[in-house]
Amino acid sequence: MSYALQTLWHERPRYASGVLAVTFSAVLIALQCGLLLGLFKITSIPIDFASAGTDRTLWVGSTAVPSVDLGKPIPASYLSRVAGRPGVGMPELYVANFANFTKPTGGTELCFLLGSRLDGDSAAAATVLTPQMRAALSEPFTVVLDESDYAKLKLDHPYGRPKINGKEVTVVGTVKGVKSLAAPWMFCSLHTARQLLGYVLPPDHATYLVAVCDTPARAREVARELRAEYPDDMTAYSGTDFSTGSRWYWLFRTKAGFAIGFAAVLGLFVGAVITGQTLYSATAASAKEFAILLALGIPRWRVYLMVLAQSFWVGVVGVALAYPICLALREAARLGSVDVDLRWEVLAGTAAVTLLTALAAGLWALRSVRTIEPMDLLR
Amino acid sequence: MPAVVTSTTPTLRGVGLTKTYGDGSARRAALKAVSIDLRPGELALLMGPSGSGKSTLLAVLSGLLEPDSGQVLAEDEGELRDVWAMTGKQREDYRLRTTGFVFQGYNLFPALTARQQLEIVLKWGGYAGGSEARRRADEMLDKLGLAPNRHKKPAYLSGGEKQRVAIGRALVKDPSFVFADEPTSALDWENGQRVMELLRDAAHDRRASILVVSHDHRLMPYVDAYYHLEDGHLEERGRG
Repeated sequence: MSYALQTLWHERPRYASGVLAVTFSAVLIALQCGLLLGLFKITSIPIDFASAGTDRTLWVGSTAVPSVDLGKPIPASYLSRVAGRPGVGMPELYVANFANFTKPTGGTELCFLLGSRLDGDSAAAATVLTPQMRAALSEPFTVVLDESDYAKLKLDHPYGRPKINGKEVTVVGTVKGVKSLAAPWMFCSLHTARQLLGYVLPPDHATYLVAVCDTPARAREVARELRAEYPDDMTAYSGTDFSTGSRWYWLFRTKAGFAIGFAAVLGLFVGAVITGQTLYSATAASAKEFAILLALGIPRWRVYLMVLAQSFWVGVVGVALAYPICLALREAARLGSVDVDLRWEVLAGTAAVTLLTALAAGLWALRSVRTIEPMDLLR
Repeated sequence: MPAVVTSTTPTLRGVGLTKTYGDGSARRAALKAVSIDLRPGELALLMGPSGSGKSTLLAVLSGLLEPDSGQVLAEDEGELRDVWAMTGKQREDYRLRTTGFVFQGYNLFPALTARQQLEIVLKWGGYAGGSEARRRADEMLDKLGLAPNRHKKPAYLSGGEKQRVAIGRALVKDPSFVFADEPTSALDWENGQRVMELLRDAAHDRRASILVVSHDHRLMPYVDAYYHLEDGHLEERGRG
């Protein structure tokens, strides 16, 4: 065991505050990032829940569409631009647009219509739609929505019927796991979507064309080709890129990214100050031992290294304690139907940032080593 | 040009050392043209009343405190060199090669075992690493009668044992000079005697020059030379 680690263990009560500060910082950063990623996953639900999966699908939409909910109608004739390309299946039409939802009890809210083909081969239809639901949705003016939105839209009310854009609709089922941020997702057939949107969606138009490619690489390649060939009136993305793009767009559009960045920096700062002060006082408390070594001619950089090693281990222990806490909090959040996305990039990034901060705190604490003089032992 | 060292030459010479503290009316001379010769294989005792400048002289001779004037000539790699003409880095290297310290407070790392207190000097000083450092540390602890305590941390050692570990730390790199500031003052007489015997043996067996600063007259039978410092003046009062 290194002298630094041994000292840390021996004097653990002294270092506890530093370790806990690092743990606090790491939990704060990981949970903030995880919460945000989890939250903004919602923005790409239409892409992520496509029956053909995300990575092999090709999405074609209006020029420079930044997020799946912001597509403008494109002519259905663009199908010919996509169809027939090697390694690309037959594209299908997909409608995605905001609409006005009138509750049975009165009052309106925005909802988001997602109209797709409903047969078993459909690439774009949501995976959460069972065959029974798809059969039911083949009736005009029928919709399916997430169960969490059911009561919110007063659909549990015994009287009255809901309307979308002024037309009465029937809810034929509810699904789980497709919560919305603000406007509830309304799954329906292409036909229903067209009827409900009316003039908003011109005839022979759709919001997207969706096709399945042989491989994820082919999806990216075709998307690149289409963007290069038709830069002026449409754009194309692989499902993966469109999904990521939609999340990033809303992350920054809402300034939530800045908010989390600020909170994370604040957490890091608090952690760094406490860790730095802990290391500083611990080093100052060992000043006489270090002074002996300096008197014996041991180079000062050796002492520096030991303090930095201590700060590194404080960081490692702090992060190690933070991980189980993060995972436990994620499970707790899940009980409240809140998704905290602690993917490995979040955990690794948290560890890297926190360790660097702990090392910076160690560097700050080195000033206590600079003041150590062997002569002090003789005074 | 450094002088060539012969077998009769003292290995450490302080020549005309002066050191003054304070300014104006608070000005106080701790050393007034002090000269001293320390010979190899000799345990020297420096005594004097409190505030007489004993620790100042020890610090100046050991390369820790720069005198206002005078020279400290030390044998280093076969030559007599002026310690205070060296650069800071050279002096640090010189101390690493030649000098050991024992202080009144043991100043042992609380987290480290007795063996590790010695190993850290060998490893960080670049003398030895890994198993060789461990072997040399164990050998030193054996000589100090601390073999059974090598795995103990300071909290589990008596005051005498701690001071012996501190002596081991000073001696483990086999220094030419050892400076001990009140090494027995925190110990009972029995342990104090043991410490003096160890320092005397180290001087005689290792041919080291050892300077002990103390108030305790009972240490005189253990030393080869005895100096008295008072009001900044040094007087040699005996040599065995």
